[in-house]
Amino acid sequence: MSHGTQVVELREALRQAIDEEMERDPNVFVMGEEVGEYNGAYKVTKGLLDKWGPRRIVDTPISELGFAGLCVGAAMTGLRPIVEFMSFNFSFVAADQMISNAIKMYYMSGNRFSVPIVFRGPNGAAAQVSSQHSHCVEALYGNLPGWTVLAPANAYDAKGLLKSAIRENHPVLFLESELSYGDKMEIPVGEYLVPIGKARIIQAGDAVTLVSHSRMIHVCQEAVKELVCKGIKAELIDLRTIKPLDIATIAASVKKTHHVVLVEEGHIFAGIAAEVAFQIMEHCFDYLDAPIERVCQCETPMPYSKVLEQETLPTVHRILKAVDKSLYQ
Amino acid sequence: MFEVDREAIKKQLGSSLLKECLGRMLLIRHFELRAEAAYQQGKVGGFFHSYIGQEAIQTAAVQALGAENWYATSYRVHALALLLGASPEELMAELFGKVTGNAKGRGGSMHFFTDRLLGGFGIVAGQIPIATGAAFTLKYQGKKNEVAICFMGDGAVAQGAFHESLNLASLWNLPCIYVIENNQWGMGTAVHRAISVPCLAEDKAAGYNMKAYTFDGMDFFTCYGGFQHLYHQVLKTERPVLVEVLTERFKGHSISDPALYRTKESLKQVIQRDPILIMKQALLEANMITEEEIKALEKEMRRRLLVALDFAEKSPWPDPLTLEEEVVAPDLGDDK
Repeated sequence: MSHGTQVVELREALRQAIDEEMERDPNVFVMGEEVGEYNGAYKVTKGLLDKWGPRRIVDTPISELGFAGLCVGAAMTGLRPIVEFMSFNFSFVAADQMISNAIKMYYMSGNRFSVPIVFRGPNGAAAQVSSQHSHCVEALYGNLPGWTVLAPANAYDAKGLLKSAIRENHPVLFLESELSYGDKMEIPVGEYLVPIGKARIIQAGDAVTLVSHSRMIHVCQEAVKELVCKGIKAELIDLRTIKPLDIATIAASVKKTHHVVLVEEGHIFAGIAAEVAFQIMEHCFDYLDAPIERVCQCETPMPYSKVLEQETLPTVHRILKAVDKSLYQ
Repeated sequence: MFEVDREAIKKQLGSSLLKECLGRMLLIRHFELRAEAAYQQGKVGGFFHSYIGQEAIQTAAVQALGAENWYATSYRVHALALLLGASPEELMAELFGKVTGNAKGRGGSMHFFTDRLLGGFGIVAGQIPIATGAAFTLKYQGKKNEVAICFMGDGAVAQGAFHESLNLASLWNLPCIYVIENNQWGMGTAVHRAISVPCLAEDKAAGYNMKAYTFDGMDFFTCYGGFQHLYHQVLKTERPVLVEVLTERFKGHSISDPALYRTKESLKQVIQRDPILIMKQALLEANMITEEEIKALEKEMRRRLLVALDFAEKSPWPDPLTLEEEVVAPDLGDDK
């Protein structure tokens, strides 16, 4: 490890973000199922109960509607809750509190009450957890105004974005990936923030623009490597922030490459890719040399069998096929 | 049914405070009547839920508990906002959709707020977790002289939010007073067709290890004495309580509901127990108010509402250019 950096798993980066922000602001607290004594279902909150005690690391019963709504009320009255959903699939039973209360309140109250709250947890598919535990929620929730939607793909962004999220004065959805919690990365030892609303160019290129977010970035990276072997230099953009969308970074890339493939773990109908594609059309219509291609999850509930699960999710193969089509190869 | 010593309460509050309370009940009544008339004239749109018939309950609660607590209620929110200090002008302007309104014309009839009123919530039972969260904040901050008060209708008892909130509040000893205003109807469905037990608080509370009470919601004195008791109880025990307040709204569920499910005879009976009549009678009998003073109060409330209507009418509309402003709260502007 070089001076001033550390190699950590993504879950540890998240833990550090929470810990540092709890240190910084006594009104920040964590609430969720198994966050305390169990040390987190995915060990993101490991050790935090020992350090901060049960007043600020609050174990709940299995009661998402109750504790998510309670945290909205706590946020309205002066606290800054971090709500952990063991999985964003379980946020659906809390959706009324998130949608009707958390994200409407500031506008609906004529700005009398703000709701500084972070809803975080794993989103999307894990490994064969079947149809009720594999939802991608960003398109569902992203349709609604009133919150910021973040989806980091690596430990560096996870820590810096979560710290920024906790300091926001409005609701933030912070989407993680169960399959990425163990991903290791070298990140700074000291404190840093990653700005909200800024995409990152992971790989510069000039032949085709790939846009994705969260775990699918890693699938795209594999595809980019294979494209290099074929002599095609793809530019890969990680959205990092889904809402507000950094269309400026995407548009600049499209104006350079003239070809676009969008990759999303969630379903294809009315997905994030559909929104990105439309905004590209609005901003760069004259620069496109081919129709925009989408590689998304097929229109099925997530099947259990690993053969079918692989088939419904975006794969390197499907991405390469889409690039070929975009480039008329 | 909770019993109080009415004479003791009369003595404790005295004639001037009791007259003020009657004045507030009249203000609510006049506000609802004038707002409803404005609705009929097309000045007010959307949903509109009248508090007429239930005035004694929240008037007594705010008098007994004081404004310095966290409050939340359902979409039937006009009265509580008035009681917690919102002016008839800003509320009427909100109903008219004007920029001078309580929520800048963005909330409407169901979403009124004050510094301590967390809302008017449009989804049945949506406010229950919110008030529970306010109680959580009080405990987190170590504030031992405040409580959270959550009003809800009988219909909310059937919702999951009711169950989850009460479980958490009891589990974590949160200082919250949950008040079920049983006005007998969840929209057009009679309460016995919606809830599996006859006594909404007393039959439910045991399941949450909570104390339960039942008040006569048509009688200001019972409500005042009851809420005062609950307040001290919650501050002392640092435990939540559940209370059912028996009442009946005089109007339909909302302005578009002619309440055909209720017979004229039964409505007549209900109106005989008009909380404002009962209050007037009590004060007259105790020689704490005169007929002339009541007339003067009524006149004053009429005047105030005319001023409010005039203010709403003359207020400007929101500027369409501001439509997409202030959707999310800005950063705090610290060292972020």
